[in-house]
Amino acid sequence: MEEVKALGIDVGSTTVKLTAVDAQGKLIWHHLEGADPRVEDQVDHFFNLMREHGFDGKELPMVATGYGRNLVEQAEKKVTEITCHATGVYNQLGHGGTLVDIGGQDSKVIIIGENSQVVDFAMNDKCAAGTGRFLENTAGRLRVPLDRMGVEALSAAEEVAISSTCTVFAESEIISMIAHGVEVNPILKGLHRSLILRIVAMIRSVGLVPPLMLSGGVVKNPAIREMITQELGEQVTMPEYPQLMGAYGAALIALKNSNRA
Amino acid sequence: MSVSATLKYMVNVNIIGKTALGWQRRRAEHSTFSSSKWRTDILSEPLRIGARTKELISLHYLAGRYANGHRPVAWVTSGGPVEILQALGYYVLYPENHGALCGARRAVVDISTEAENAGYSRDICSYARTDIGSVLSGKTPVGKLPKPDLLLACTNICQTVLHWYRVLADHFNVPLILIDTPFVYDEAPDHAIKFVRRQLEDSIPVSEQVAGKTLEYKKLQEVLQLSKDATELWLEIMGRGKQHPAPLSVFDQFIHMAPIVEMRGLKTTVDFYSQLLKELDERISKGIGALKKERKRLLWDNLPIWYRLRYLSEYLAERGIAVVASTYTNAWGELAPLINVDKPLDSMARTYLYPILNKGTKYKLNTMRRMVEDFDLNGVILHSDRSCKPYSIGQVDQRNRLIKEYNIPALLLEADHDDPRAYAEEQVASRLAAFMEMLED
Amino acid sequence: MELPAIPNRIETITAFKQNSGMIAAVLPIHYPRSLFRAFDVLPVEVWGPPGTDVSHGGAHLQPYVCSIVHNALSFLKKGGLDLADFIAVPHTCDSLQGFGSILLDFVKPKQSIFPLYLPRGNRPEDLRFLTEEFRQLYRHLSGLTGKKPSEEILLRCIRREEKADDLLRQLYEKRQKVSLSNYSFYHLVRTREYLPAETFISIAEKVLSRKGFDNPKGTAIILSGIVPEPMEVLTTITELGAAVVADDLACCGRRLYASGKSEQPFRRMAERILNAPPDPTRGNSLEERKQYLLRLADQTDARGVVFYDVKFCEPELFDLPRLRAKLKAAGLPSVQIEIDLNDPLSNQIVTRIGAFLEILG
Repeated sequence: MEEVKALGIDVGSTTVKLTAVDAQGKLIWHHLEGADPRVEDQVDHFFNLMREHGFDGKELPMVATGYGRNLVEQAEKKVTEITCHATGVYNQLGHGGTLVDIGGQDSKVIIIGENSQVVDFAMNDKCAAGTGRFLENTAGRLRVPLDRMGVEALSAAEEVAISSTCTVFAESEIISMIAHGVEVNPILKGLHRSLILRIVAMIRSVGLVPPLMLSGGVVKNPAIREMITQELGEQVTMPEYPQLMGAYGAALIALKNSNRA
Repeated sequence: MSVSATLKYMVNVNIIGKTALGWQRRRAEHSTFSSSKWRTDILSEPLRIGARTKELISLHYLAGRYANGHRPVAWVTSGGPVEILQALGYYVLYPENHGALCGARRAVVDISTEAENAGYSRDICSYARTDIGSVLSGKTPVGKLPKPDLLLACTNICQTVLHWYRVLADHFNVPLILIDTPFVYDEAPDHAIKFVRRQLEDSIPVSEQVAGKTLEYKKLQEVLQLSKDATELWLEIMGRGKQHPAPLSVFDQFIHMAPIVEMRGLKTTVDFYSQLLKELDERISKGIGALKKERKRLLWDNLPIWYRLRYLSEYLAERGIAVVASTYTNAWGELAPLINVDKPLDSMARTYLYPILNKGTKYKLNTMRRMVEDFDLNGVILHSDRSCKPYSIGQVDQRNRLIKEYNIPALLLEADHDDPRAYAEEQVASRLAAFMEMLED
Repeated sequence: MELPAIPNRIETITAFKQNSGMIAAVLPIHYPRSLFRAFDVLPVEVWGPPGTDVSHGGAHLQPYVCSIVHNALSFLKKGGLDLADFIAVPHTCDSLQGFGSILLDFVKPKQSIFPLYLPRGNRPEDLRFLTEEFRQLYRHLSGLTGKKPSEEILLRCIRREEKADDLLRQLYEKRQKVSLSNYSFYHLVRTREYLPAETFISIAEKVLSRKGFDNPKGTAIILSGIVPEPMEVLTTITELGAAVVADDLACCGRRLYASGKSEQPFRRMAERILNAPPDPTRGNSLEERKQYLLRLADQTDARGVVFYDVKFCEPELFDLPRLRAKLKAAGLPSVQIEIDLNDPLSNQIVTRIGAFLEILG
């Protein structure tokens, strides 16, 4: 293993991700696990893991990001996930553009400039309508496993319009459709459409700058990718590890800061 | 104003449009088959005037399409003092009416999304979002809307229009006339009436300048007289709902109210409503009601739910329930007595200060009380309209009072007048069902 | 540096009542403080307050009415305004107008209610109307209190408010030199919502007389919106490395009233309100608001604007898309944040502000 030069940690609401980069900023090691409410303990556990992999994390520069970033005492600097995602994706894909990150709790659209800087961004509003949670909750009603949702939705030839974007209302709308004998897959497709339209509205509110890039856990869902392309007429690209981009960006920022020091 | 635009207007509107639309109407009037998509097993044959309504609205939007360059164009709020503009020959467009039309044609989500994509929040009025979306994208079910040369916002229906028209003024970079009408909690004080009167006076030179014409006092009086005549007829028409069975429902009123809102002050509008009144009296003499079988009678409060008119109408008709009175349509009739042709500006100042939405919550309760008594009603539906706070705030208390005082059921129905995304199908259905059970008790 | 001791709302009200004064609870935004004071009535403003049990308001209001109005009604129903003798409701927006209306017609609290209409322009007729509106309020207060303060008393009260407002303006101008954190500064200036002018004057003078220290470091930003609630957001802004150097907040900067000119008291009160900084609820155009914000940024070297708005607030929401685009075109970026008075400061809000500051660099 090449020499680890910097670390990035992304303490999200559902998962925690740790990445390590070498002197060139290459992602050489990563770890992902469910979030523990005791962040300090989890970070200690991460340092033990690193020792097992032959390097001492405590000696390395580290940047923390994500909602729990302020709880990571070892981190020399805390940077928001917006900037970290932009840095991570820019370095991974080698260009700027529009990054759409759809997470469980949060969705964001980030316009990345030519020098990896954040030009503008938008986030979903208070309700869950524009996040992965919307799909999870409503699809739960349909008894479709999370990792099958996208495939099932795409297999539907028909699509029903879901007018409610409120999760609660959408659920009652679905119940009524089922009661009227509507098939599951067309409903699933409609649900995806509803989510995508919210995301597209966010993209339009900041103004699409091609190319379009996707990250976040939800983008593993093929329907999301395909329907965004349909709506915007833009092909999408994805980094190799869409879930790690925040942590990777954090590591890159740590590396850059240590070189500067 | 340009000669070629005038020529185009004359050919497309006055010659082709009028002829074609007139022919279409006559054909519909003489057709022995009903063209109604609504269920005629539970509802009576649609009013014959419907063909004329369609013709008038089509002609109105057609004229709008060719207005720029030929006539000055003003965009006006629904409660705005339009008579001065009519007397100066303006083509007057009501974005709210256009919004209602978009709602009825199920075009709102598509058009409103254009505004939302530009950053306009879903928490602002759906009429405004639809209008702004239409302005930004050019989308409209009527072909094309003319650009305004002048904007007129009157705050007697809400403050929303102030903010909305400021956005339009900034976008189009045209003058905005603001007629600010202080809220009337009880009686309008003298200084409020003077304030509105002065603003009306001041609006004249601006309107004249944009139109390139001088206002003729006599013409203003003529327009006011026509406005008053049409308004009085409208009031009488709504009063016919007191008959058992009611010859027209509130849903009919929603459909046939477009001229009283957007063509006030025109001779055709007066003729239109005379004809409608005649048709209603014929129905009354033959004992024909809006419903084939009327068992119960309701009041509707607040704006219509434009995208569910037919559903609600048929749902209720199926159960023998006629909605025969509404505070909303009443708003365009109740002020008729205030118009005084001999004192144009004074009477306009009063007329435009006193719409129901510019008066307190008790006034609206009193209006509903009177309707429950005069129209012999069995229940009330209060549409709690997410997009219209001035109309909706107070409904919770108004409803409680009506239930207590008249021992009748009253339903608060959460929805939005234009945006179907704020309408929860299942919830509405189950609430309506429960309300039906209460009505039968 | 710490602030001098400042009495809180309850202490202020109690002390004022002990001196046989009366209290008017006043809803946002603009009203003539001096007119109430001439009748020995202390106006105490009600901006919510945050974190109220809203179930009481829900008995009269729909969920799409903003949290300021919901909370105000809940607070009233729970007895929060029991110490007030009057309630004044300026017609600031459709929701506050509805609030005033249901108070008069249905809720009927023990206090007398004064609705107040504010014109939406700054034309000669607006000044005339507002002058008369204040004269009417005078008659109303006179009828209820039996007092008839003379023109001289009215003018004296106006001048005292003008002095307080002048000191408020100086605090704004010297906010960096008087070594106050974001939080302390707003804690201080927001006491204008309830302190008698004379008390505010003495506190402001104390703070202004302090020897200056270095400007706090950080990215300079402008805060726009209605209220900086929860106030904790100001501490968060400091922690994120930024300094609020100017604001366009309804409860603060939009009420930096300049002195009036007329010697006719009601007219002078009206002049002061009509000439205040741009405010969408008083009908200012987008262009006026843009110019004002750019001027503020220019004077204070602010690098960005945080639009911090209460959910459902139409007067704010309508302006934002075009206003933000205009500011951006003029080189002043901004971020838009939505709050509810009853929510704690969310992670997402912190992230949004943090990311915006990172963009500003």
